[in-house]
Amino acid sequence: MTTDISLVAQVAVFGNKRAFDELVRRYQSPVRRFFLSQTLGDSQLSDDLAQDTFVKAYTNIRSFKGLASFHTWLMRIAYNVFYDYTRSKHLTEDVDVVPQRGGSSENSSLKMDLYAALALLKPDERTCITLQLIDGYDIAGIAKITGLKDGTVKSHLSRGKEKLTTYLKQNGYDR
Amino acid sequence: MDMIDKDERLLQQFFSEAANQQIEDNGFTERVMQSLPVASQRSWLSRFSCLWTWFCISVFAVLFVVFHGWELLAVQFEVMLRTMATQSFSINLLMIFSVVFGLLFVGTGEIISSELARK
Repeated sequence: MTTDISLVAQVAVFGNKRAFDELVRRYQSPVRRFFLSQTLGDSQLSDDLAQDTFVKAYTNIRSFKGLASFHTWLMRIAYNVFYDYTRSKHLTEDVDVVPQRGGSSENSSLKMDLYAALALLKPDERTCITLQLIDGYDIAGIAKITGLKDGTVKSHLSRGKEKLTTYLKQNGYDR
Repeated sequence: MDMIDKDERLLQQFFSEAANQQIEDNGFTERVMQSLPVASQRSWLSRFSCLWTWFCISVFAVLFVVFHGWELLAVQFEVMLRTMATQSFSINLLMIFSVVFGLLFVGTGEIISSELARK
């Protein structure tokens, strides 16, 4: 299998769209999943934001220096896209935290519980929590993606986990 | 400590399904590929074209200095005047070299320009 770096080089130097096609296929799932978590299951909005992320990655691919993995670099773009989106829409938390119904895979009760639980969190807490518990990033990785300091990430994780644990216990998940 | 571990396990269990979820492509990649800007491809060619132009200018500037181009020009000018007077024709290797490379650089530049215009 061709490495990410090799595919990125083909896109950056020769403008090889087939190489970029391969990169999109490889990373569409984690990027769309990230947006689904941030938008609390709004699949249409998630796909729009994910598309925007890949277009930005394509146009800025020459700025990828290989200091982090391509996946981390892409997730940083995704984070910035979502940050810009929330800022441009002036979303208040009250509006932002309504879990969405709809979509074949997003309407199960467990999914609703997941999004309802995530809705309890502040946006930064939600981002840190999902990056750790869904995408498997450690604190340094989350800090790299979000641009937050390690200490701030730890605080968001701690507060977010406390809220989630309380919610899960209240809903009988610990039995 | 035990309580924290228990809470952590509870959270990991709760998020495990989401963590293992693989979202099917369902035409997403195709939509992304169709929405990619053409400008990026064009800018690569534009940049290459610009670089090529500067490369040619640099090469000619260096060659001009190394081979004392001003002297050669003066000689060629003199030869041209003399040959015009005597109606004979003189060709040397340096002239052939200059003409061939000049055509090569101009030709390549033209190819790049026409490619840009086509896109």
